Amino acid sequence: MADQPILSLQGVTFAYEGDVVALRDLNLSARRGEFVVVLGANGAGKSTLCYVLSGIVPHIYGGRRRGVVSVAGLDPWDEPLYVTAQRCGVLMQDPEVQLFMPTLKAELAFGPANLGVPREEILRRSREALALVRLDGLEEHNPRDLSGGQKQRAALASVLTMAPQVMVLDEPTSQLDPLGRWEVGEAIERLKRTGDLTIVMTTHETEEVLHLADQVLVLEEGRTVLQGSPAEVFSRTDVLEAAGVKTPVLMRICAELLGNENVPAIPSLSDVARRIRELVAAGRLTVSPEALPPPPSLTNNGPVILEARDLTVVYPGPRPVIALRGVNLQIREGEFIGIVGQNGSGKSTLVKSFVGLLRPTQGDVLFRGKSIRRFSVGEIARRIGLVLQNPDYQLFTPSCREEIRFGLRNIGVRPEEMDARVEEALRMVGLEMYGDLFPFRLSFGDRRKLAVASILALGPEVLILDEPTTAQDHRGRYQLAELARRFHERGGTVIMITHDVDLAARYAQRLVVLWEGQVLLDGPTAEVFRHPEELRRSFVVPPMAAQLAAELAPLGVPSHVMTVEDLYRVLRPASQREA
Amino acid sequence: MQPAFRYVHLDTPVHRLHPLVKLIYVFLTLVLVMYPIRPTDLPVLLIWLGLSALLWIVGRIELRRFATLLKILFGTFVFLIIIQGFTYRFGQTPLLVLGHLRLWEADLGVITKEGVWFGVVLSVRILTAASALPIFVMTTPTSAIMTALGKLGVPRVATFMFVSALSFTSLLFEMWGSIVEAQKLRAFDIDRMNIFRRAFKAYIPIITPLILLLFRKANDFQIAMETKGFGSPIPPTEIEVLQTRPADYLWLAFILAVFAACTVLKFA
Repeated sequence: MADQPILSLQGVTFAYEGDVVALRDLNLSARRGEFVVVLGANGAGKSTLCYVLSGIVPHIYGGRRRGVVSVAGLDPWDEPLYVTAQRCGVLMQDPEVQLFMPTLKAELAFGPANLGVPREEILRRSREALALVRLDGLEEHNPRDLSGGQKQRAALASVLTMAPQVMVLDEPTSQLDPLGRWEVGEAIERLKRTGDLTIVMTTHETEEVLHLADQVLVLEEGRTVLQGSPAEVFSRTDVLEAAGVKTPVLMRICAELLGNENVPAIPSLSDVARRIRELVAAGRLTVSPEALPPPPSLTNNGPVILEARDLTVVYPGPRPVIALRGVNLQIREGEFIGIVGQNGSGKSTLVKSFVGLLRPTQGDVLFRGKSIRRFSVGEIARRIGLVLQNPDYQLFTPSCREEIRFGLRNIGVRPEEMDARVEEALRMVGLEMYGDLFPFRLSFGDRRKLAVASILALGPEVLILDEPTTAQDHRGRYQLAELARRFHERGGTVIMITHDVDLAARYAQRLVVLWEGQVLLDGPTAEVFRHPEELRRSFVVPPMAAQLAAELAPLGVPSHVMTVEDLYRVLRPASQREA
Repeated sequence: MQPAFRYVHLDTPVHRLHPLVKLIYVFLTLVLVMYPIRPTDLPVLLIWLGLSALLWIVGRIELRRFATLLKILFGTFVFLIIIQGFTYRFGQTPLLVLGHLRLWEADLGVITKEGVWFGVVLSVRILTAASALPIFVMTTPTSAIMTALGKLGVPRVATFMFVSALSFTSLLFEMWGSIVEAQKLRAFDIDRMNIFRRAFKAYIPIITPLILLLFRKANDFQIAMETKGFGSPIPPTEIEVLQTRPADYLWLAFILAVFAACTVLKFA
């Protein structure tokens, strides 16, 4: 690494038009080849930092800036965007909006062609970029036909062909499934290994970047609250929690349970397991399996409320896609079920079949024993509520109250009953203060809550949540799941599609793993997590606490430990036990 | 949900055809359908439609795409045939008499054979015009379209607007499908509404979120494009090298010959 910083921010403060201050007195310096990770809750200023570095502010979003910024020798504020683009590339969250050409080859050539780079050089860069992101051979494919992870890697390659010296990655894996995240993570890792590029990456997924980061910056309300090496930053669990940043599980265990003694700064699972064994042997930690209550029994004798019977769904096309292959699944009243599996495994197809949005090619879906085909859209909406990932596909009224009234009017609720149901729904999701507010003035998390409220108001017996943690930070990621838990406590049936194994471990009593349109595993959540080989086929990795429990099974750690809190109940410092 | 008429990567004679030849075919189609219309034009239109069908088949474009086109236009065809049936001023042979209401030269209470025929000719004219552009778009990569339009002297910004509109269409279809699904989940079933209810009521819950989302996506597109140097004053590199082959001249000659034959037949 050269000694001279290639990227430098000194005392940078930035406010958007309307005087919304997004960055306050920020200092950052990075050398060639350095990997900087920027963490923080939603609204902490991470994306604004990306915009400042890449020149998106002030050239696309206006505002006022103080301080000094230098990116590969330029101040992006003073240069036109196409000049900054030759030094600093930017990759955003959503791959869909970064791909606009009909073939991958044309996509990769788009940037350098705009800058007049000679044709042969463009083709050379394209070959190299495709090899780096492992998409070689797909040059003539339409980027829109690629999987989520492939799309984001294509978008990454299309930035690399600009030959930047600094690469800004703004939450590049936040909209991907586990396989997509792994693919993009691997591409970023290879990019780092090239050693030439300085990378600044914002993320909520601290575990993914732990081994990549040279420097970590934690922001809160635009201010730096922590800055340093990963070991320095992640040992400050209290500050991280206060800033709404997830501490990597193993580092949290090291700090909270092991006192960071005799473990590497960035520990592996086996390091932590070894240290726990040592402490147990030395009598400093005790194992109390009885402290963890047994997992709730799955002996649910309630009636079957939803059933997929030999369900096959085929999407027509030049090459028909079999999304579900003869799925048989019974869901009983009062269950809380998690459904996991990589994109394309059939999760969304299954729940869309449950609510009649998709018609089975073969087989049937039954609601309380009656074919779903016999129900009208309104009749289904009154019985089964599905909350989609993106609330913005449904919001269109001038107020939150009107948004909830819309569905109630469609199912013919009488006006005198309507207001009570609207207020009850708002209260359930904690938005009673915002009833008259324009929905788009709410945060994304609150807009999702409003979407839940508009479904709950219809009084469904089954609530289905599609990816409740999407685009949420560490602090807000369980808000929708908590709403689902309360719905479940009142006797409702919950189905939750998720990629987040920690979420499934925390809430779901039963877990269904889908793989290539079939049910791969189905059983009590802890039981399902005990099949790592099968789970690996579906790119599902059990929660870190469950993996650690499996390693520590010979010590008597029960196999139904799934969360860090479970682990803390079982493993306790001897002094605490005596007390 | 995918747009019906997006580029399909295949290796066929029509895909290999020089984009300018395909553009000339589209242009001549528009010229042909802009000629003053007469009830006797059907053979001329069918000949040109035959040429389009040939390109459609040689280009191995799926037939269901043509079915989609017919589905989109079907309502327009029915409307035209009925309206012309009632209002065609040279109509003389009654097919159906509902009453008599004379307005200038037409009797609005009578559907005439000549009016229906004229409606059919108008419909075929619309179909002829509508079938040309999908052939061009579905067999020509965007980069080749940009290069071809650049060779015609069309400014790059205008070319890219056309090209990105094609890309945006794809996104638009996906968003439309997702919004319709989201509203169905709240018992709003646009698919079961009749055409009048749809026109007056149904589209607000669909179009409002669509517009709001499009504004947001357009902003993201702008960022993605401008951070890749779009809009720079540097002359862009042409990646697609368009080479003219003997087959291009043969196809061009064939298209021009068909056009000349149609013109002669029309005005003879």
